Amino acid sequence: MNKPTPIPAIEIEELTKEFTIGSTTVRALRGVTTTVSGGSFQFVLGPSGSGKSTLLYLLGALDRPTTGSITIDGRKINELSRDDQDRFRRHEVGFVFQSFNLLGNLTAIENVLAPFLPIGVSADLRQQADHLIEQVGLGDRRHHRPRELSGGEQQRVAIARALLKQPKLVLADEPTGELDHKTGGEVMGYLRRLREEQGATVVVVTHDESYIEPGDKILRLLDGEVVSNTQPGKSPAEFTPGE
Amino acid sequence: MWRFAIQNLVSRPLRSLLALAGLSVAIAGMVGLFSVAEGIDRMVTDTFSRIPGLAMMQTGAPLPLFSRMPAGWAKEIEQLDGVRVVNPEVWSRVNLIEGKRVIAPPRFLFGTNIATRKKLETDVYRDAMVDGRFLDGTDHNQLHAVISRQIAEDNNVGVDDKLSINGDDFRIVGIYHCGQLMLDVSIIVDIDLLRRQIRFDRDSVCAYYIEPDGTVENDVLVKQIRELFKGREIQSTGNIAGAIATGHPLIDLLLAIQNWLAGGTRASTDMATDADAEPIEVRTANDWAERFDEFSTDLNLFLGVMTGIGVVIAVLSIINTMLMSVTERIIEFGILKANGWGRRDVVMLITCESAVLGVAGGVIGCLLGWIGTDIINSTWPDRLQLYASPSLLAFSLIFSTTLGIGGGLYPATWAMRLSPMEAIRRG
Repeated sequence: MNKPTPIPAIEIEELTKEFTIGSTTVRALRGVTTTVSGGSFQFVLGPSGSGKSTLLYLLGALDRPTTGSITIDGRKINELSRDDQDRFRRHEVGFVFQSFNLLGNLTAIENVLAPFLPIGVSADLRQQADHLIEQVGLGDRRHHRPRELSGGEQQRVAIARALLKQPKLVLADEPTGELDHKTGGEVMGYLRRLREEQGATVVVVTHDESYIEPGDKILRLLDGEVVSNTQPGKSPAEFTPGE
Repeated sequence: MWRFAIQNLVSRPLRSLLALAGLSVAIAGMVGLFSVAEGIDRMVTDTFSRIPGLAMMQTGAPLPLFSRMPAGWAKEIEQLDGVRVVNPEVWSRVNLIEGKRVIAPPRFLFGTNIATRKKLETDVYRDAMVDGRFLDGTDHNQLHAVISRQIAEDNNVGVDDKLSINGDDFRIVGIYHCGQLMLDVSIIVDIDLLRRQIRFDRDSVCAYYIEPDGTVENDVLVKQIRELFKGREIQSTGNIAGAIATGHPLIDLLLAIQNWLAGGTRASTDMATDADAEPIEVRTANDWAERFDEFSTDLNLFLGVMTGIGVVIAVLSIINTMLMSVTERIIEFGILKANGWGRRDVVMLITCESAVLGVAGGVIGCLLGWIGTDIINSTWPDRLQLYASPSLLAFSLIFSTTLGIGGGLYPATWAMRLSPMEAIRRG
């Protein structure tokens, strides 16, 4: 697998997102401005309702911000057409979700290939998927359906699905939330390997700070606003978010 | 994509089967209903293709049974250029066979002039003999009959056996088999005998069968015959209506109406006549076919309405199935969109699923309909002749597929509009 060129920093400027629920307007993000450096392992921390997941989904072009912009690789992704956003997600972004979000009708290998079903699965792609399933230690379970796999195994399938795209950006929403600490550590290990081997930028939303290691970057949100953007081992004064 | 769509359907077996059953029954019903019209079309086409001559009847009479005209006109017709043979016919409904009332399928006594009939080059009945012989000179004024194989089988009789028809014992001299409902209803007897048996005016006939000799175009011959009789009045002797009376209340009522419309209640023979009035109609096989086409068009309209009801139910069933399926799978679509599936891809997936239902429903429905018509035809060979043609089956299959795709479009459009973020949040 070729190592892709690391992407430039993600520039987030004055990002706001409002939802209307009935007659109530919820302001999930309130003018978030920050930078995620290319190839970094970025944690997004904060209590429930702080806007972590909303920020993650906006980074993955799953939704459009109310105001503000997100610039990745020189492109304002919030201004891309729907088709371009679909392409961006299909080829450049890998998602890993808390509840694994595998498709129950498909086998492990088919789940890995799911993003490419609409455009057709080539023999080469299938071979790569096979290799990735082996890499995450599920070689003998490739034809099992999600209900036949443990939580940790399902999350590894989800990671293999994200890896197949050789993504520049991996967005993980509470990837260890439904796993025991040991299995969670293994999953986090796969994500770190992904960053190291492919140079991808990994953004992880989590409540659990025990997985943070020196060198990781930490963005803290509270009530939709940035509280801090730091790096363990460096004082806020020493740390430049985009470095 | 197709494989994924099929897997999705298989993973919800009960719901998919119910939708499939709904569509299959609707399509089978459609095949069954339209096979009635196709069966009639086929029967009419086949029947009249075997009768190359012209039928001359009283104007307005739907069938020879309801027509009457002077017997003396035969000689005048024979004089026309292009006429080979003129064969007079008298028709009467059979009310009793072997003492049993005949209602459905109907049977008719068909009195034919044996001498002129022998001169016909093509005779649909004589050419279809399977046992015994056709009528000849020895059968004149005799209680002798040629019956269809169907009638013989129904009454368990064969050649030289006796068959009681309307209380008279006829000797079976021959058996024919045309294989057509419209033809295999006839019991062929001598015309003079039939006149006597039913007290039909001996100077009248119901119709003439005219066999052209091929030297004149049929259209020209038809025109000549019409010109010949233009302005003439068909005299009513008053006893014809009674003579034709069948004993069947409905048929008799129709006869009475027909008789009245034709002026049959007027005993006078010297009434003023309209010089342009045409007392007779001359029909070619094409005219008969066109007449049946009109009937067939009305029938198709009726069948279309009946089918429409079934189809609406089937479409609602598919929409319901797909809508329920889509509602259940909001999260799944969110995941797919998060992984790069576009709105069109999601629409395509759902449409593929409903198209699979449509194709499968069509195939099963066509198969059921085809088998059903076959069973009906073999169960009641003398009453029904349904025909599910390859074009009807192909149309039904395409129709079913279109229904399937159409039924999936609304749920697909609904799923397309869902925000992936909202979908995943629900998960």
